[in-house]
Amino acid sequence: MDSLVARYSRPAYQDNEVFSEEEQRDLIETPSLSLKFAMPPVAHPSAWLRAATDDRSNPSCPIKIAHGTTTLAFRFQHGIIVATDSRATAGNWIASQTVKKVIEINSELLGTMAGGAADCQYWLAWLGMQCRLHELRHKRRISVAAASKILANLVYAYKGMGLSMGTMCAGVTKEEGPALYYIDSDGTRLAGDLFCVGSGQTFAYGVLDAEYRYDLTTEEALDLGSRSILAATHRDAYSGGFINLYHVKESGWVKHGFTDTNPVFWKTKLEKGEFSNVTSDFSED
Amino acid sequence: MRGPTILKATDDKTRQLNDHTLLAFSGEPGDTVQFAEYIQANSQLYSMRNESELSPSALAHFVRGELASSLRSRNPYSVNLLLGGVDPITNKPSLYWLDYLASLAKVPYAAHGYAQYYCLSLLDKHHNPNISLEEGLRLLKLCSDELKRRLPIDFKGLAVKAVTKDGIKAMPFDEDDKVVRDT
Amino acid sequence: MSRRYDSRTTIFSPDGRLYQVEYALEAISHAGTAIGILAKDGIVLAAERKVTSKLLEQDTSAEKLYILNDNMICAVAGMTADANILINYARQAAQRYLLTYNEDIPCEQLVRRLCDLKQGYTQHGGLRPFGVSFIYAGWDPQRQFQLYLSNPSGNYGGWKATSSGANHASAQSLLKQDYKEDCTLDEACAMAVKVLSKTMDSTKLSSDKIEFATVGQTKDGKIYHKLWTADEITALLKKHDLAKEDTSEEK
Repeated sequence: MDSLVARYSRPAYQDNEVFSEEEQRDLIETPSLSLKFAMPPVAHPSAWLRAATDDRSNPSCPIKIAHGTTTLAFRFQHGIIVATDSRATAGNWIASQTVKKVIEINSELLGTMAGGAADCQYWLAWLGMQCRLHELRHKRRISVAAASKILANLVYAYKGMGLSMGTMCAGVTKEEGPALYYIDSDGTRLAGDLFCVGSGQTFAYGVLDAEYRYDLTTEEALDLGSRSILAATHRDAYSGGFINLYHVKESGWVKHGFTDTNPVFWKTKLEKGEFSNVTSDFSED
Repeated sequence: MRGPTILKATDDKTRQLNDHTLLAFSGEPGDTVQFAEYIQANSQLYSMRNESELSPSALAHFVRGELASSLRSRNPYSVNLLLGGVDPITNKPSLYWLDYLASLAKVPYAAHGYAQYYCLSLLDKHHNPNISLEEGLRLLKLCSDELKRRLPIDFKGLAVKAVTKDGIKAMPFDEDDKVVRDT
Repeated sequence: MSRRYDSRTTIFSPDGRLYQVEYALEAISHAGTAIGILAKDGIVLAAERKVTSKLLEQDTSAEKLYILNDNMICAVAGMTADANILINYARQAAQRYLLTYNEDIPCEQLVRRLCDLKQGYTQHGGLRPFGVSFIYAGWDPQRQFQLYLSNPSGNYGGWKATSSGANHASAQSLLKQDYKEDCTLDEACAMAVKVLSKTMDSTKLSSDKIEFATVGQTKDGKIYHKLWTADEITALLKKHDLAKEDTSEEK
């Protein structure tokens, strides 16, 4: 009896979502192709993992997880802008400057990557698979709400076992319009207009919040997205590299370049006079 | 704040060093006011002795020196400071950022604590050296709005003072409008 | 009996005088003349160097003019040994201020620091006052070019043109006569050599008898101070027709 109750009762916050019946089934069933992972042979696998990966409390921890990032996405009248930086760091080490943190789940859906790179890559690829299976089973595109919920339920099932992800799912469907969800490995899932995720989030929020409007033109929206990432790469040591910029429309997503931040920074500084704190004038202290 | 209680929401966290220089502080309760008033007293003593004011630059370097010797003492001050002033001779305004480790930097804009994370990117984008006081206040409003919106603690707003060549005055600053909108 | 008020500096005489201080002033009035003239674009200091013996190695460096700080120089009239102590003190005070505030000490403050020290020796017992007068030339952002004179009592004052040492009374009256408000540094230099030529024993001057220094401003606004070389002094003297005929060949 308990197992049945456990299986069909859900937290109250999930009740105000309206899903089609088929979608409900997807959400409740254990993911059909989900894998059984081998767990480390210790009493508390998550505590063990945390001890092995937390390089803040233990700089010589054996496993270094890539963490630092800036990713953002926001809704506006013509769709959704998704932008990220491209730096991967392990501790103080810049492991890569050319990471693709926008994950193309399929030709309509985008996911972003913050936290553990492997976790994000693996589970968003897995999400792509679930979405495709949904299409095959139901002969229509999955809603963004449902796709994000599949991921949220999955990470919730692994809660406390050491997953580290902060991701956003973006897509535009006829029924939903531009739809944007934030999902993290705590199990949080939020719908919203605007999210920034990662160690550089505050810097991106600063620029984005100040000029964000729903009725931005596409050009303004692209510029704002890229400028917000630039702001974060400038101030956050763990963000940098290239600006990866996408525009999601009902017809699918469009890529708007993978642009080196360095020339963009100097162009912004020299042509617009921004970043006035960056100077080589040492004439007066 | 003391434990979980806000003791006073409208505490003045600045001290006027002389007619054209203001020191703003944050950090360890107790240390902050003690240190700021020590600096204030020394600045005023200088003004009386020499019938002239120390320049903002001179004061900033003096404060840095005091912090540096405090840092290596048995009981160092944990105080972070911003020092703003207008040079009484050249009429040029300047701003200095100091932290409790006695770092000193002359900067066009600055913040301490979590505010840095939210405001510096805004200031990077919207500041230029030629802005007027009114534009400066508008920029500050952008910052305070962002802090109200995003800071995890209940941000009680800002006390704003302007340092100009005519002296220091408290500025009226928009306090009560809602920034947080429903999405 | 007449020594009752002489031997200790702390004691006033019945008519309210400090004899030791007055003796110190007297010592200075035997020293080589030093003059300073404030111009609108700079200051000139000039000093007479007393050549006591032909055998004495003529020091190439200045012995009456000293650099105190990046913004200040001074001329000495009086006992060089005493002056060395004070100059060392002044240099240290100036550097300490620079270390504390990261800017040059304002001229009057440095003068006052020295005078506070000098004053101490007119009040505390058992020590004699410094037998030195200084003429200071300096620049600071608040009061631009400034000229000060201080004496062993610890008194000091700001001047447009002033002098100290032997014949200072006649030098002072010459300066009073010739001084023009808003004169240029070049005019001030001319006036300086002219006054020196009249107050010194010989009418013809030479570079080994006088020292010269200027504080000025370069075209790009930087303050400089310069102790003149022998060749520069000779050129100046020639220009004003005050140079002694060149007989130094025989040396």
